[in-house]
Amino acid sequence: MKRLAIIGALVVSALAVAVYRAKLGAEETQGRIDELKAQVAEEEKSIAGLRADEAVLTRPERIGVIAQQQLGLQPASPGQYTASEALKQKLGEEKITLPSPADTVQAQTPAQTPGAKSQQQ
Amino acid sequence: MRSYAAPYEDVWGPRRGRIVAAALALVFVVIVGRAAFVSFNGPDRSAVPVAKAEVARRADIVDRKGELLATTITGKSLAVDPSAVWESRDVVAAIRSVFPELGEDALTAMMADRKRQFVWVKRGLSDEQATALKNTGVEGLLFVEEPQRVYPNGRLAGHFLGYTGVDGEGLEGVERVFDAKLKLGGSALKLSLDASVQFVLEEELDRAFADFDMKGAAGIVVDANTGEVRAIASWPTMDPRQRGDQSDEAKTNRALNSRMELGSIYKPLTVAAALEAGVLQPTDRFDVSKPIKIGAVTVKDAHPLEHASSVSVTDILAYSSNIGSSEIAQRMGPQTQRIFLGRVGLLTGLKQDGPQWASPLIPARWDQTAMATVAYGHGISVSPMAFAMTYLPFANGGEYVTPTFVEPLDPETVKRTRVMSAQTAASVLGMLRTTVTTGSGKNADAKGYEVAGKTGTAEKPGPNGYDADRNITSFAAIFPASRPQYVVLVVLDEAQPRTGVNRTAAFTSATIAGKVIARAAPLLDVRPVLDVAATKSVVDAQ
Repeated sequence: MKRLAIIGALVVSALAVAVYRAKLGAEETQGRIDELKAQVAEEEKSIAGLRADEAVLTRPERIGVIAQQQLGLQPASPGQYTASEALKQKLGEEKITLPSPADTVQAQTPAQTPGAKSQQQ
Repeated sequence: MRSYAAPYEDVWGPRRGRIVAAALALVFVVIVGRAAFVSFNGPDRSAVPVAKAEVARRADIVDRKGELLATTITGKSLAVDPSAVWESRDVVAAIRSVFPELGEDALTAMMADRKRQFVWVKRGLSDEQATALKNTGVEGLLFVEEPQRVYPNGRLAGHFLGYTGVDGEGLEGVERVFDAKLKLGGSALKLSLDASVQFVLEEELDRAFADFDMKGAAGIVVDANTGEVRAIASWPTMDPRQRGDQSDEAKTNRALNSRMELGSIYKPLTVAAALEAGVLQPTDRFDVSKPIKIGAVTVKDAHPLEHASSVSVTDILAYSSNIGSSEIAQRMGPQTQRIFLGRVGLLTGLKQDGPQWASPLIPARWDQTAMATVAYGHGISVSPMAFAMTYLPFANGGEYVTPTFVEPLDPETVKRTRVMSAQTAASVLGMLRTTVTTGSGKNADAKGYEVAGKTGTAEKPGPNGYDADRNITSFAAIFPASRPQYVVLVVLDEAQPRTGVNRTAAFTSATIAGKVIARAAPLLDVRPVLDVAATKSVVDAQ
C-alpha cells in the first residue's frame, strides 16, 4: 500500500507540475499572441499612414507637373495610336529591325536611355 | 487494570491503506477534473488586452483602379488638463500661436475649472502643428492619439466623397450615404470613379474659370453602356479636409443637388420622342422662318437659320432652332412628351440606394405652353446628373440605364429600360455628330474621338422673368460616335468670357467638353478613330 501511496503522490505531483507548466506555457503563448496582435495593429497603422503618403505623392496634380517638367511628357494624342496591323506594315515598309537582346542591354546604359536624354535637355 | 500483554492486532492497517488510496484517488480525480476544467473553461484572455484594437477601423474609399481617395490614419488631437495648468495665460498664448483662429476667451474659459483633468481643444492635428505645440513647452497640454479621416488627394472629388465629423461619423457625400458599410471596416469601398478622369474634369473646369468669369460649373463622365459614373465634379471645388467649414457656394454639389433649366440640350429628346411616337420622319422638313405662337408662348429663334423656310430635322438640332423643336413637339402633343421624359428619368428623383439627385421641378400643368418650352429645355429644372443619363440611350442603342457609383457592378441593381428603338437612337446620334461637325458644337470636336453632341444656352429665371444677361450654358456629348462608349455633360453657370462677348454654349461649355474628351479618352482606353469612313457611316445613319 505504501508503494501505491508513494506512486500516487508522485503521479499527482507530476500532474500538478504538468498542469502548472501547461498553464504557464498557455499564458506565455497568450502574451506572445497579444504582443503580435499589437504589433500587427501597429504595422497596420503604419501601412495606412504610408499608403496615405503614397497617395499624396502620386496624386495627379503633382505627378502631372513632374512628368511634364522633368520628363517632357505630354498627354497622349490621337496621332500616337495605331492598329497593330498598321504597325506591322509600318515596320515592314521601313525595314526596322527589332533590337537583339544584346543591343537591348547595351541600350540600357544610362547615357543612351531616353530618360537620360530628356534629363539632359 | 488493563493488560497490554495481549498481542497487538492492527485492525486499521488494511483499512488505512484503503482510506489513503481512496483519498489519493479523490485528490487525483479533483486535480484531473480541475485540469480539464482549466483547459476547457479557462478565462478567455484573448479578448481582454486587445479589446481596443478590435474597434473597427473605418474602411478606405478607393477609385475603380484602387487609388486611395479616403483613409483612416492614427492622428493626434489636442486636449488640456486644467488641473495641471499653473498660468493659463501662457497656455492660451501657446495654443493661439499655432491656432490663432481659436478665441482667447474660449480657451481661458476651458481652463477655468481647475478640478477638471481633460478638455478637448482641437481634433486632428497635423504633425507640424503637434511639433510646434510641443516646442512651446507649456504645461498641461495632452496629445491624444485617435483615428483621423484623411483625404490624400485633397479636393479631388471632394463634393462626391463628402466628409466625416471629428468622431468619424459620415456627414456628407459618400461618407454619409455609405456610413454604415464604412463603419464596419474591412475591405475598401470601391467607387466607379476614375481618379485620373476626375482630375482631368476638375482641372478643365478650373481652367474654364481662367477663360470665363463664371459663378459655378458641373461636369459628368458616364459609361454609356453600364451607367458607371467615371467622374462627377462641381466647381467651385470643396475640400473635405475642412469638414464643411466653407461657403455655401463651395459646398453645393451642382452636379447632383442643383436644379437647372439646361436649354437646348433637350432638343434631341424632343426629336427622339417624336420619332418614337411615329409623328416624325428624319427626312421631314420644317418652316422655321417665323416665330410661332403655341399656347401662351411665342417661340422665336435667337439666330435665324439659313434657308429657314425649309430646314431638316438635323438642321433643327445642328443650328438649334427653338421654333423647329416646338413644331416637332406640337406634332406629338404634351402627354406623349411628358411620358417620354418620364421614361428617361427626368420627372422623378432617383429610386435606388446610394447617392441621390435633386428632385426635378416640372410644369404644374403640362399643357401646350409647357410642351412648347420644354421642347427646347425651358420650364423644367433637373440636376445635371439626371440629365446626363438621358443621353445614354442615344449611345447604347436605346436603353435607359440607372447610374452606378460603386463597383463591382451588381446586375441586380442596374435597371435597363428600352426607351427608344435602336434605329431612333442611331438616327439621333447621327444628327448629334453633324451638330459637332458642321453645327453649333464645332468647338467640342476633339480630334480622333468623333464627338457627337448638343449645345444648350438657357437664360436664367429671375424675379422679372428670364434674364438675358445670365445664362446656363451646357454641352451634352457622346464619344466616339461610331462605337459610343461615354457620355459627357458640362454645365457652366453664368459663364461670361473674359475676352470677347459671345457667351453661348458653342463658345463656352462646348469648348470645355472638347478639352475634357481629348484628355479623358486615352485614360478611359478609348482608341481614337482616325478612319474617315467610320465617321461618315455615323452621319449617314441619321
